[in-house]
Amino acid sequence: MAVALGIDLGTTNSCAAISTPTGVDFILGTHGERLHPSLVAFPDTGGVVVGTDARAYRIPEPEHVIVSAKRFIGQNIRAPMVQLALSGVRYRVVEGPNQQPIAVVRDRHLTMPEVSSHVLLHIKRCAERQLGTEISDAVITVPANFTDAQRTATKEAGRLAGLRVTRLINEPTAAALAYGFGKNRDQLIAVFDFGGGTFDISILKISGEIFEVIASDGDFFLGGDDLDRALAEVLAAECNSQLRFDPRQYPTSMAKLTMGAEAIKCHLSEHDLAEGEIDGIDLPDGQTGALPFSITREKFEELISGYVGRTLNVTRQVLAQAKLQPSQISDILCVGGSTRVPIVRRRIAELFGRQPNLNINPDEVVAQGAAIQAGSLSGTIIPGSGMGVRDAVATAALSPLAHAKTAVLPAEALRRPVLLDVNPQTLSILTAGGYAERLLDKNSPIPIERSRVFSTSRDQQTRVEIECCRGESRRYADNEPLGKLVLEPLPPRPRGDVSIEVTFRVDADGILNVTAKDAESGVQQQAQLQVLGAPDERADTIEST
Amino acid sequence: MTRRDEVLAWAKKVLANKLQSPERVLDLRVGATAEQAQAAFHKLAKLGHPDLHRNTLSTDELELVTSAYAIAAGAYQTFRSRPTGGATEEPLPTRVTPRPDSDPVRPSPLSATPAAGTPALQTSHVPITPSGPAPSGGATAQMAPRAIPYFRKAEIALRRGDLKGALLQLKLAIAADPQSPLLRTALAELESELRKGP
Repeated sequence: MAVALGIDLGTTNSCAAISTPTGVDFILGTHGERLHPSLVAFPDTGGVVVGTDARAYRIPEPEHVIVSAKRFIGQNIRAPMVQLALSGVRYRVVEGPNQQPIAVVRDRHLTMPEVSSHVLLHIKRCAERQLGTEISDAVITVPANFTDAQRTATKEAGRLAGLRVTRLINEPTAAALAYGFGKNRDQLIAVFDFGGGTFDISILKISGEIFEVIASDGDFFLGGDDLDRALAEVLAAECNSQLRFDPRQYPTSMAKLTMGAEAIKCHLSEHDLAEGEIDGIDLPDGQTGALPFSITREKFEELISGYVGRTLNVTRQVLAQAKLQPSQISDILCVGGSTRVPIVRRRIAELFGRQPNLNINPDEVVAQGAAIQAGSLSGTIIPGSGMGVRDAVATAALSPLAHAKTAVLPAEALRRPVLLDVNPQTLSILTAGGYAERLLDKNSPIPIERSRVFSTSRDQQTRVEIECCRGESRRYADNEPLGKLVLEPLPPRPRGDVSIEVTFRVDADGILNVTAKDAESGVQQQAQLQVLGAPDERADTIEST
Repeated sequence: MTRRDEVLAWAKKVLANKLQSPERVLDLRVGATAEQAQAAFHKLAKLGHPDLHRNTLSTDELELVTSAYAIAAGAYQTFRSRPTGGATEEPLPTRVTPRPDSDPVRPSPLSATPAAGTPALQTSHVPITPSGPAPSGGATAQMAPRAIPYFRKAEIALRRGDLKGALLQLKLAIAADPQSPLLRTALAELESELRKGP
């Protein structure tokens, strides 16, 4: 039987698992690790190094190590937030065809799907070695607020790595699936997903095997990277005053400080004070220097409180959209490494009036959910096979169900999960007067199809352009354009006399298809919109290295 | 009837009713509550969600079921997004803005004029513009009763030309009823008006 991987393709780390008849098994890296850093290095010594081994090159050759590709995949390089994020990376990125960002390392030009495909290929190889079988199918997770272009680009990355992507699922939904699958729960939960590069909050209703997303929102440019950067800036200022050297102009020194900041952040999650020295900082005179530091948790929390506040504001908005009070949520799942920061958990507890669930592993739960979905789609999980007997989220070891391996759940709990995910943003078309006319509302269930009838706005009009956008504003210009579809020829008639049926269909991966049809002549035009920033349909699978 | 026959029969029925009311598509009685609609949608998800059938149906059959499911989801969304939260009501008279199209590179935008006899088309162009007529009585039918006093105050402020005051009242109205599309569109229009400056 085909083995399908579930892959959490993260900004900082990726994690993968497969579902087995008794639970979920993780794919281990070459050193036995469950987390695979999403790093792709092209070292001086040649070749491509991915994952844990690529870490070693971050300091000596930061310009040759591609990090955080997920922040740029499927993005338009000209978008202001992308430009801001680019200022934080140490490798070169240029504008490629269709305004997509291209990483330039040595003489190689890589699209972002190509970069991510290296990470996926690495995971695929680890899995094949571990399982001794070829892997062809995968379910990959994406942030709930990923756009159409980002989803398409992620699928493209899978294809380049030689994987058939059977489904893209949203990370919070995957987490909920790992939490609730096979347990026959009936409750409302919140998934607070604060990862390396993105923030998502989703409210789900679990009723038995049905996982329904009630509302979901997020901030695409907010993550652990921002916390590291805020701290690195403080260290840089410190460096300037203590060593009389401003490292901000030197990529290697700044890379060192950023990594130091990351380590300090993690230390402060467990301790009240981080003290020590960052050594090996390259000084302009060819010497190396050491920067002593002493940072209290209080100081760090003050530094990042603005970022944490942003996550809570989005959370309040989502609760309002779902028409729910915080007290109605019976459990809060923390997903993503940034939820380990104590102030984040504290603020969540304040908002909801209860402690977040501590029994799940924030780094692994998404991959577990992806594995369950992959198994379900490929038919590996079949009713009565025993899946669900072992607690899918028991790896945190604290779960009371961790030892309940012999427990047998009622057959009712072993049904296949049904994921009712949602479309994260309103999709509209441009109508006369510059208005955005809504076809699919934010938070509508997917897959979904909706049609509306429009007519021409001028006499003798023989051609219409259907311009599509996403966003919540009634004014077209305030939303993000997605692309357009042209329908012609139309019969020349007085305005308002031609009926054009426009259909939006969002598939289960969250990818939009638009169809326009002239009811009378039957002229029809269909397109998956070509979106700015999306990759070209070109490359074959990446070469083996 | 096997499960396969059952889901295919259901899919064909949905596709045949594609242009009918959400109630017809979802197999609901007219006047059903939001809870009943949700229960109906869950029931059909358990039956017709395409993920449950991908290993048992042929490609063509699966496409049929996927289309039916997507249409049912659309009907559910239409039901949910009705201003009254589901119950049917008379469609509101719409005021289509016949502004001249000034953009030469875009000679042919669509207009949202509903074609005669097309069902379920509710263009809700906002009747709230500073220069325009006062909102019709129908507007308040599209929001929660709690929001109406704020909306009225916003109208009064608008008539006085106090855009900022109107903005505040509208925001209060939205706080009272975050779901009303009419209030949100009114807010968007007002904000764009404010951006244009005095």
